[in-house]
Amino acid sequence: MSGATPISNGPPAARAGHADPATTNRAEHAAPAPIKFSAEQLAEVRRLQGLYPDKRGALLPVLHMAQDTFGYISLETEAYVAGLFELPPAHVHEVVTFYTLYFQQPKGRHVIAVCHNLSCHLAGAQDILRHLETRLGIRRGETSEDGRVTLQAVECLCACEAAPMAQVDERYELNLTSEKCDRILQDLR
Amino acid sequence: MAEIVLMRNFDRPDSHTLTAYRNASGYTAWTKAQTMEPAVLVDEVKKSNLRGLGGAGFPTGMKWSFIPKAHTGPVYLVVNADEGEPGTFKDRYLLEHDPHALIEGMLITARAIRSTLGFVYIRGEYVQPWRRFSAAVKEAYDAGLLGQGFEVVIHRGAGAYICGEETGLLSSLEGKKGWPKIKPPFPAIKGAFGQPTIVNNVETLCCVPPIIQHGAAWFAGLGTKTQGGTRMYSMSGRVKKPGVYEASVSITLRQLIEKAGGVSGTGRLKGVVPGGGSAAILTADEIDVTMDVDGLKNAGTMVGSAGVIVMDESVSIPEALFVLARFYAHESCGQCTPCRESTGWIEKMVHRILEGHGRKDDLDTILDVAKRGGGTTICAFYDGAIGPYISYIEKFRSEFEALCRA
Amino acid sequence: MPKLTIDGKEIEVEAGTNLIEAARRLGIDIPHYCYHPGLSIAGQCRLCMVDIEKTPRPTIACNTAAADGMVVHTQTDRVKDTRRSIMEFHLINHPLDCPVCDQAGECFLQIYYMQHGLYDPRMVDEKVHKPKAVPLGPHVILDAERCILCSRCVRFCDEITGTGELGIFSRGDHSEIGLFPGQDLENNYSANVVDICPVGALTDRDFRFQVRVWYLDTTPSICPGCARGCNIDVHVNRTRPHHAGGRRVARLKPRFNAAVNAWWICDLGRYGFDRVDDPERIRFARHEGVDVLRDEALGLLVAALRDHAPEEIGIIASPDLSNEDLFALRRLAEHRGIRQVAYGVPPATPAADDDFLLRADRHPNTRGAEAIGIEADAAPILARARAGGLKVLWVIQHDLTACGWLAGDVAEALGRVGTVVFTGTNDNGMSTLSPLVLPLAAWVERDGTFTNFLGRVQRLRAAVEPLGDALAPWDLFGRILYMLGGPAPLGRAELWFRELAKTVPAFASLTYQSIGSEGAMLAGAPPTTAPEPPGRRVKTPA
Repeated sequence: MSGATPISNGPPAARAGHADPATTNRAEHAAPAPIKFSAEQLAEVRRLQGLYPDKRGALLPVLHMAQDTFGYISLETEAYVAGLFELPPAHVHEVVTFYTLYFQQPKGRHVIAVCHNLSCHLAGAQDILRHLETRLGIRRGETSEDGRVTLQAVECLCACEAAPMAQVDERYELNLTSEKCDRILQDLR
Repeated sequence: MAEIVLMRNFDRPDSHTLTAYRNASGYTAWTKAQTMEPAVLVDEVKKSNLRGLGGAGFPTGMKWSFIPKAHTGPVYLVVNADEGEPGTFKDRYLLEHDPHALIEGMLITARAIRSTLGFVYIRGEYVQPWRRFSAAVKEAYDAGLLGQGFEVVIHRGAGAYICGEETGLLSSLEGKKGWPKIKPPFPAIKGAFGQPTIVNNVETLCCVPPIIQHGAAWFAGLGTKTQGGTRMYSMSGRVKKPGVYEASVSITLRQLIEKAGGVSGTGRLKGVVPGGGSAAILTADEIDVTMDVDGLKNAGTMVGSAGVIVMDESVSIPEALFVLARFYAHESCGQCTPCRESTGWIEKMVHRILEGHGRKDDLDTILDVAKRGGGTTICAFYDGAIGPYISYIEKFRSEFEALCRA
Repeated sequence: MPKLTIDGKEIEVEAGTNLIEAARRLGIDIPHYCYHPGLSIAGQCRLCMVDIEKTPRPTIACNTAAADGMVVHTQTDRVKDTRRSIMEFHLINHPLDCPVCDQAGECFLQIYYMQHGLYDPRMVDEKVHKPKAVPLGPHVILDAERCILCSRCVRFCDEITGTGELGIFSRGDHSEIGLFPGQDLENNYSANVVDICPVGALTDRDFRFQVRVWYLDTTPSICPGCARGCNIDVHVNRTRPHHAGGRRVARLKPRFNAAVNAWWICDLGRYGFDRVDDPERIRFARHEGVDVLRDEALGLLVAALRDHAPEEIGIIASPDLSNEDLFALRRLAEHRGIRQVAYGVPPATPAADDDFLLRADRHPNTRGAEAIGIEADAAPILARARAGGLKVLWVIQHDLTACGWLAGDVAEALGRVGTVVFTGTNDNGMSTLSPLVLPLAAWVERDGTFTNFLGRVQRLRAAVEPLGDALAPWDLFGRILYMLGGPAPLGRAELWFRELAKTVPAFASLTYQSIGSEGAMLAGAPPTTAPEPPGRRVKTPA
């Protein structure tokens, strides 16, 4: 557990998905490399902006793009994206801190988001979470020391017919058991 | 004997492809719709008694008719694919197994409301459904179905249940936080980007091609007097065969549970959530109600998104309430005071009760706070939250009292 | 124009008027937080709910336009009960900071709780904790726990200044007002958010812990910081001299005037009062560096004016003086035949207009001086002094050692003038060089009027007594005039204004009554409206 990197998606009591307020006021998360889209990416940004009657509509898709490119959304990234939209950075920060899928701090190479809402709870989601916490040596909301996995407890992913379940990176892993969790972990590099 | 309308294509191999859809008579309703005047299309849907299947149950045809007749600027069709109501997964199935049904529904609806631009807002977590739907949209463009007067833009969400609320969705579509908009003005007058907008649920739109194909009377006849058609019920929790089941909206809850294999766990039913997490719970002796909008409304709950969560005797209702209270506190957007402050407060109180530190007054405080907040907020999120807050405590009070100190 | 009934009283209002404004006109207060007439509608606080007949549930008044035949009730049991609920929701997570919070006494949580709450609190769980005492720039300090998230400050920065520094981050009861991390609230209107914050979340750093607001008296006046003439209220601490470091003026607040500044004031003007209670205030007349009695100093000044030829006397007046002051000076000059009177001295660093209220001209009464017929450019007077043509140079308020004129020229001029007299409010480079110094009362210590750059004449009112032997300029000039053989001195600023109105046609139709608290235009000057806020101007597409 020591050395685990706490990320913005903290334990449930701290509202999973959002930065600890004390950290949002410290500008200390500068990425090492300069934050810039390539020419092709900028063309894609313009294309996305053109799809909407007001280019601001493309903000969420572009933030997804930024996260996919830079790994997470640092303050520098927010300021950069704000520039692409001619928006005050504070308004981009509002959006990034509001939505749970945007990571404000580096996340693991893989994200395991275990649903802990009602049907999954009834099917044993807490057992799955505890199992994964033990296997990874971290608490929900944290990232493993080797940077491999970020574990989260999340709200309804709408796969209740296959509870308990989790979203592992882009895919849904359904009907979880401890054994299945172990197999999934094995395959995550 | 039951009519399968929405799930008719699910078992076909590669049902999500254009070829398979066309082979199953796909897009013939659209061809027919193109010979019908927009006003006639609206009228047909009105007569079908189709009601919104996302949660609010508003008559769809009536909603379409709210677009101002004199408006000459753009009209937007926005598809709410931000499925997020606990216990609900039907839209996911439609997006993955029959995306062309949605596209065809959009085409017909766009013609009815004179929209040339549609947005499909898919929740950010739905990656596989997004890829499936995107591929279908590309097929539709390539086949000349889209891009001939109607464009579709797919917009992924980023993780917020409140974006399933129609105006919260619009705010998010506009590139902002998912804060619902104060009404008036209503979206049909001033919606996305300030223009008249119709927001419809995925499943609702998937009903449109069959209505046009087979007629309003047929659809109306499938249901009850006040709600036409069938719908897809999401069955989960302590049932033997969880999954999505299509049935006439006149089906009873008891029949649905049987369809899903009956109660699992102890096999003895304790309570059922009939319409997604925000619906008031029904006890074991309240399940002989029809699962339509008005049937459940008259029973003091709602069909909402038709997410049915079954609980057997071994389920702890206070624990279930905590799970939901935590959910509402987490998803409250924070814009207006009653919801923002009381969802967090109630979560704390329920948690404290579960931990064994509940006080005698806590239950009445929770009930009072919930009732006082109801009807005072910008959107119906809080009215949804108080469904469980009030019904779980009122209907299972002794279980809560046992946890509270004398 | 829709006609509606509120609490049984009928009123007709313009189409589009919301119910809070309609009720206000009937003297009915509908409590509210997030609504502000100068900002967009938010509808977030939910406190302004009222009962409208034929509407099943209470409705928010701010977002409801008055409709013909509407019947509104603001005092039903249901409305009162709803208000009680909303007050409780607002206070769930609010810290009990009243004993240390500057807002106490003017806090709308306190006020509305006493009016509409009065319930027994029942929240026993841990409140949400957020950052406290966070500076947001040089003038504003944030306490995020106290914030009720009404979003007025966010809307202000978006819609008024157009700078967008503030946002509401995160969601649910962890929502928090803040700046983009690393940025500052640096626009020149930052402290207006303190005015519009209904609670103690955003407070004034300058005013922090200075004095409790219930010890303050308020007097309406005009900001002397530039030629806009923003309307203000001067808050003075008269009864607790041991608070606020002994400062008499505790703070300035903008006063609403639709024709000038709407609800706003720039930070420069808001904080421009520190010179008033500065230790550098001149309290007593001085001759050759020694304090003297006022009569002695007056005598010396009168002698200088009487014993020299008018052509050898130059007076550099100031556009900081009021219309009354300037007119009295004109009378004095005319009586003595002194023609070399001018008001314009270039500033050390030229300023610029900003895009909203602040004018490049940092004097409040340039237009007034112009209208009264005082010569604008004082450079010829300086030139004459340098050429040795002046025996008496009387400088009013200006610090010639720190202006746009070359220091060498000024030094040369002062060196060649026999008698240099300085009358002003504060000691400066000029006062230390002048053998004869008489104190003037500061703007908060005087009645009078300023004329703004658009020709609007607005009233100053004395909020505190002049310090020491300081006199209002019109009073000083009137006494000198009398001692030079002119008429008996007038005892009130208003009497000088009447003289002014009788003499200068531009002021002819004006009286203190007609000027009132909102001001009135000079003859021929078209009526004005406050400028459009930069945040509302349509942005030209890139």
